[in-house]
Amino acid sequence: MNTNYKITSYCHIKNSKVSLNGSVIFSEQLLDFPEFIKAAYKSQDTKYPKFFKMDNLSKLAFLAADILLKNENLNLEETNNIALVFSNKASSLDTDRSHQKAIQHKDNYFPSPAVFVYTLPNICLGEISIKYKLYTENSFFIFDHFNAKHLLTYTNSLLDTNKAESVLCGWVEFEGDHYEAFLYLVSNEGNIEHNKQNIITLYNT
Amino acid sequence: MNKGVAITGMGIISAIGNNVAENFQSLIESKKGISRISKIDTIHKNDIMVGEIDYTNSQLEQLLGLSPDNNFSRTGLLGTVAAKEAVAHAGINDINKYKTGLISATSVGGMDMTEKFYYQYLENNTNHKYIEGHHAGDSTQKIAEQLGIEKSLITTISTACSSAANAIMLGARLIKSGQLDRVIVGGSDCMSKFTINGFKTLMILSDTYNTPFDENRKGLNLGEAAAFLVLESDTVVKAENKTVIAYVKGYGNANDAFHQTASSDHGDGATLAMEKALQVAGYTANDIDYINAHGTATGNNDLSEGRAIIRVFGENVPEFSSTKAYTGHTLAAAGAIEAVYSILALQNNVIYPNLNYKTQMKEFNITPQLEFKEKTLKTVMSNSFGFGGNCSTVIFSKEQ
Repeated sequence: MNTNYKITSYCHIKNSKVSLNGSVIFSEQLLDFPEFIKAAYKSQDTKYPKFFKMDNLSKLAFLAADILLKNENLNLEETNNIALVFSNKASSLDTDRSHQKAIQHKDNYFPSPAVFVYTLPNICLGEISIKYKLYTENSFFIFDHFNAKHLLTYTNSLLDTNKAESVLCGWVEFEGDHYEAFLYLVSNEGNIEHNKQNIITLYNT
Repeated sequence: MNKGVAITGMGIISAIGNNVAENFQSLIESKKGISRISKIDTIHKNDIMVGEIDYTNSQLEQLLGLSPDNNFSRTGLLGTVAAKEAVAHAGINDINKYKTGLISATSVGGMDMTEKFYYQYLENNTNHKYIEGHHAGDSTQKIAEQLGIEKSLITTISTACSSAANAIMLGARLIKSGQLDRVIVGGSDCMSKFTINGFKTLMILSDTYNTPFDENRKGLNLGEAAAFLVLESDTVVKAENKTVIAYVKGYGNANDAFHQTASSDHGDGATLAMEKALQVAGYTANDIDYINAHGTATGNNDLSEGRAIIRVFGENVPEFSSTKAYTGHTLAAAGAIEAVYSILALQNNVIYPNLNYKTQMKEFNITPQLEFKEKTLKTVMSNSFGFGGNCSTVIFSKEQ
């Protein structure tokens, strides 16, 4: 088993801040999540109108991935063999609740396909795949806590078996008022050793 | 590397028959199982046609000898019937003699009961037993109990309409890697308002018989069904002197990266899935003798899949047909239903006609097989494509 993989880059979105490789690139206090993420989107000049149709979890995951991948200067005309391995605790509960509210009362029944389609956490992987044309392996895991060990093992296995050239992995959580995204790219390039301790350290940065 | 995984048994229940023999009879007689809906009271009943199984839930409960206080969803009932047939067909008397797993696919799970009792749950507890049966894994657990599988890998795959193909794929990989000696793989989905209303909202339900690969196709008919295969390791086959009915020779799964509920215009994911399956099998496109297409008869699928077939097979597209006109689209079970049909095609050297076809599609010049045909078959490719861009292909062969 090759253990020489590196953490190429990483991105955080939490506590009203967006940071890339540890440097804050956007910060805006006193906004609730929808306003905050919209302001962050605008600040990054993302220009992807589909963003506004996404649910909160997808917006969070998509923007973190977009900021990180944009920095990689990928050639989007070519197929990029980047696998996606995401995780969180609350699954898609935020959107599940919106959908539940819409069908709770027989006489006030108004489910929306636009909401329903986001009642799965892995839809955010689809949004990222569509933007970056990733025809690659993807998985979304639900854990009680951030599980560095599982992400490490799964990612190394994908790279060892040549299922992917690099892996975008991490944690995207949206529940109530709490939001937190931590994504990192693992490949042969970079200065940070891909091991459990470094993943935990960066997660807590 | 390219060695196939042995299939030693199969079972099925669908709108065209309650077992393997009845299904085959209907297939070769061009007898379709599509009708107006009778078992679910829906406001769409005059606008849709479906592939329903004749048995009522209580008839199925009797057939399986379940106690009156059981909390089986129809998904669990249908799945148990088909899985039991598969195990019996494989001549298994002691299921725990070898390390035996169960991988069952479903998209509906216990939704049929939930939608029936949803509002009542809040008022009284008469039917609360069905709450526990709601989640997709419950039907799998019940099938495992009915088969007597103890302490083994029992898991559920829910990747929309490619679920059962993915169950077959996972099972084959578990046998190849030596994790299991034997695995029962397949899927079950019953009819529900949940799927009727969902597909109705997407405006892809036909108001008449579905017509795969026809220029004027109007959409799909939903169907309910369950089917399972028994896969066994070479060691078990040898030790038990088993008759192998076919092999899982290749498989591939790919991401279409296009849309939640639509396939890409040129079938990118479908093309990748077929190519990967050929690669795993160690085949070239020329080695495929018949394609059992996904062919749902929606405008989008048949165009996208047809184009993908042309991308993979070029000028030499083998005979292909969709059997959705017989059974309707059985969603998470479809990959297993069509696996059984593919194996029957191999065993009997026959190709089933693509029913209800009238007009050539104008976007390309490939035409499905329209008449029942006898042809020596060595290999059959089966496609299953799901929402979320989850595309899967499985290749079955006579020789390992």
